[in-house]
Amino acid sequence: MKRPSLPLWINAVVLYVFLYAPIAVVVTYSLNSARRGGPWRGFTTEWYGRLLHSPDKLSALRNTLILAVASTAVSTVLGTMLGYGLSRYAFPAKRFFAWLMYIPVVIPDIVAAVAMLMFFALLRNLTGLFELGLPTMIIAHITFQTPFIGIIVRSRLTDLDPAMEEAAHDLGADPWQTFRHVTLPLMMPGVLAGAALAFTLSIDDFVVSFFTAGPGSTTLPILIYSSVKRGITPDINALSTLIVLASILGTLTVTLLRRRQ
Amino acid sequence: MTDRGKVQFGERLTLRQEWRRSLLTSGPGIAWVTLFLLLPLLGIVAISFASRGTYGDVQWKFTLENFRRFLGFGAFGFDPLYPKIIARSLAMAAATTMLCILAALPLTLFISRLPGRFKQLGLMLLVIPFWTNMLIRTYAWQIIFSSTGWLARSAAHLGWIAPGDALYPSSFAVFVVLTCDFLPVLALPLYASVEKIDWSIAEAASDLGADRWRVFWHALLPQIKPGLIAGSILVYIAATGQFAIPDLMGGAKTVLIGNAIQQQFGFSRDWPFGSAIACLAMGIVLIGLWLFARSAGEEGRKTIL
Amino acid sequence: MKQCLLILLVLLFAGCGKPKQQLHVFIWSEYLTPELIADFEQKFDCRVTVDLYETSESMLAKMAAGGASIYDIVVPSSRTLPILVRSGLLLPLRRENIPNLANVAPQFVNPPFDPGNRFGAPFSWDTAGLYLRKSKGKLVEETWGLVFDASKQPGPFLLSDDVRACVGAALRYKGHSLNSTNLEELIEARDLIIGAKKRSLGFEGHTAAKNRVLARGATMAMTYVDIRGVKEDPDTYYFVPCEGNGMSVDVLSIPAQAPHRDLAEKFINYLLDAKVGARLADSLGTATANQAALEFINPDDRNNPAIYPPPEVMQRLEFARDLGDQNKLYDELWTQIKSK
Repeated sequence: MKRPSLPLWINAVVLYVFLYAPIAVVVTYSLNSARRGGPWRGFTTEWYGRLLHSPDKLSALRNTLILAVASTAVSTVLGTMLGYGLSRYAFPAKRFFAWLMYIPVVIPDIVAAVAMLMFFALLRNLTGLFELGLPTMIIAHITFQTPFIGIIVRSRLTDLDPAMEEAAHDLGADPWQTFRHVTLPLMMPGVLAGAALAFTLSIDDFVVSFFTAGPGSTTLPILIYSSVKRGITPDINALSTLIVLASILGTLTVTLLRRRQ
Repeated sequence: MTDRGKVQFGERLTLRQEWRRSLLTSGPGIAWVTLFLLLPLLGIVAISFASRGTYGDVQWKFTLENFRRFLGFGAFGFDPLYPKIIARSLAMAAATTMLCILAALPLTLFISRLPGRFKQLGLMLLVIPFWTNMLIRTYAWQIIFSSTGWLARSAAHLGWIAPGDALYPSSFAVFVVLTCDFLPVLALPLYASVEKIDWSIAEAASDLGADRWRVFWHALLPQIKPGLIAGSILVYIAATGQFAIPDLMGGAKTVLIGNAIQQQFGFSRDWPFGSAIACLAMGIVLIGLWLFARSAGEEGRKTIL
Repeated sequence: MKQCLLILLVLLFAGCGKPKQQLHVFIWSEYLTPELIADFEQKFDCRVTVDLYETSESMLAKMAAGGASIYDIVVPSSRTLPILVRSGLLLPLRRENIPNLANVAPQFVNPPFDPGNRFGAPFSWDTAGLYLRKSKGKLVEETWGLVFDASKQPGPFLLSDDVRACVGAALRYKGHSLNSTNLEELIEARDLIIGAKKRSLGFEGHTAAKNRVLARGATMAMTYVDIRGVKEDPDTYYFVPCEGNGMSVDVLSIPAQAPHRDLAEKFINYLLDAKVGARLADSLGTATANQAALEFINPDDRNNPAIYPPPEVMQRLEFARDLGDQNKLYDELWTQIKSK
């Protein structure tokens, strides 16, 4: 396997720099003693201290993580099954349903949010359940994450070489065994890519979350949206920095712990 | 129900078996999305035929007024604003998709050539910036592009812009940020295909004397088509609804579909009109998708629909 | 093992006290400081949850789709209160439970948008004007011409992304009412704004605009009064141009199916208290509608004409009214302004 050539390295480095440039700004300002995004006024860690004493931000972080993890878990299962089923099996009007599954991708956030809000209100009238809160938010997130994952998994499956699976059948494996030991590992990169994307969609979602939230289920995007419109508070920058740091450290750890492949 | 099965991946399935498999696999996902989004969406379609009450409430009086307004018949005379707005959004989405493809192709190639365990790292590093918040990232971009930042000062030095100007609001800023933000959406599905490239085909083509462009076009591109198409569609469709970044980096001086719909559900409190715009915009994109799938041939249809 | 179970049981039941009364507040961000909330929680032995909104319309949308039965307190403005009232989404205030209503300043006691203060308790108000960075030695004419007249432009500037504030400024500049529904007047305003848009840095929300002026990204911005900016940088100042513009009053209201009506009324009473009202005004940086609170307010703020304009300026301020069916005109106008 060829190692990346120099042009590829340069291109990649430039792109990563672009991607992380705003992060660098956020990190810098989390350590800037200026209250606002002005010039550098001195180093300080007071914003991190402030953050630890802001119960509203910490509970928003907690809500965001619960929401993202729960919705990603369910939608990854649903979406993977969906992608697998659509790529392998046919049924009446399959193309129509597959086409319908693009709607959650096309639909503007506000329209989806309003539609779901009205629907939850209707369900509440009929059943007395579906009070607005974390559960309704999780349901809403799963709804728009699933098709994304389905599309990605399906594309991964589409050009899988059937030889492996055929071989497994020839060797006497039943369909479930084939799936578990051959197909699933082969489509894993697609599943993981979908899950990563779904997690990102959930963590960064504002509009749908705002409209389906109930008292006390404020998430980070909702909190940040409000604070940012008033002028970014540095402790938000501190929080973002910590999130990025934690994610990078976590990923690095996993990478280094894996056996050399 | 005949028992003629077909052979697929080494298995022989009857029609009945196939339908059962579909129900078990695709069923739950489709059912969920249908229940929680598509059915409520019917409500939105219904609202687009309703009237707006005096105080912004929805009155269930059938009317085609919303669609007339969309075509341009307004109080200030005829002005086909909304078709133009849709065209503008579609064009912007197309440009964003192209830029993302140009950036993502070399990037995914790069990652696929990294040593085994660093591949995951390369992909995760793509996604991690997006676990901060879109607004925060975009405001950070405003700082990067501001007139006192070194980017703007270097550009002024080189004579590209007037001294003292910032690099935003501008189309340049809008597209840089849009591309950065949609890059993972394209790169992740694309990578799933790029990773599986059979390089022996490319090497063979090269040995046979093809230049780099032909190698790419004829040996590599067909292999990554599924991932490329999946990623492009996701980016294109999602980008047509974008308006927050164009507003923040472009000075909110222009109206895109997202702005128009937001305005109706926001300040104007005209849900019927907003619903009409949304349904028409979504309809146009979805029909475009259907046509694209048909024209992409059998392979395209396999991937998309 | 038994000891562990015992300890667990004790811990479990120790946590179970009498469940505290709850209060669900739906409010603009940064209106309530954590100290204020903690103080109220302590005084009335309850728990307060605060949900935030950033635009009146998202508040209205949520109220219409179920918010009226979730929240105990909501904070509409003079423009949006009548909408909520007509949609039946608010409870009238029971005056006997809110004695501090007497503290409301006389000019807000029987406002056109809420006769008799039946549905809302005014507690703060603001104006829409211009926020400017002083340029050395140059005297600036306090007029909307700074925005709409190219020859008077003081530097790069930002227009307001608030439709009524922006169109209102153009209408007032030409001497019309900011509630005008006259097509010619509106077309005049539209063309003025399109001309200004081309010369401007774009449209921006009020606080972000103020921050950009502070950060020297712009010289002038159309914004609501927020005195914290001026305090931070004395080189900047705020004024309402001579032609006038809109004023807006924030009121405290109780949604129609509020689960904790009594506690909500106590909360309103608490916020209308003189000293609490003064603390609120200090943290908001805008004018208080609370007469009794005025004497506890920082005298510098009290005498600042930006926050508390003199009578001749007050005369030029209009309430922005919701225009019912004619809202469509402003919607079309705004879409045209942004498209061209």
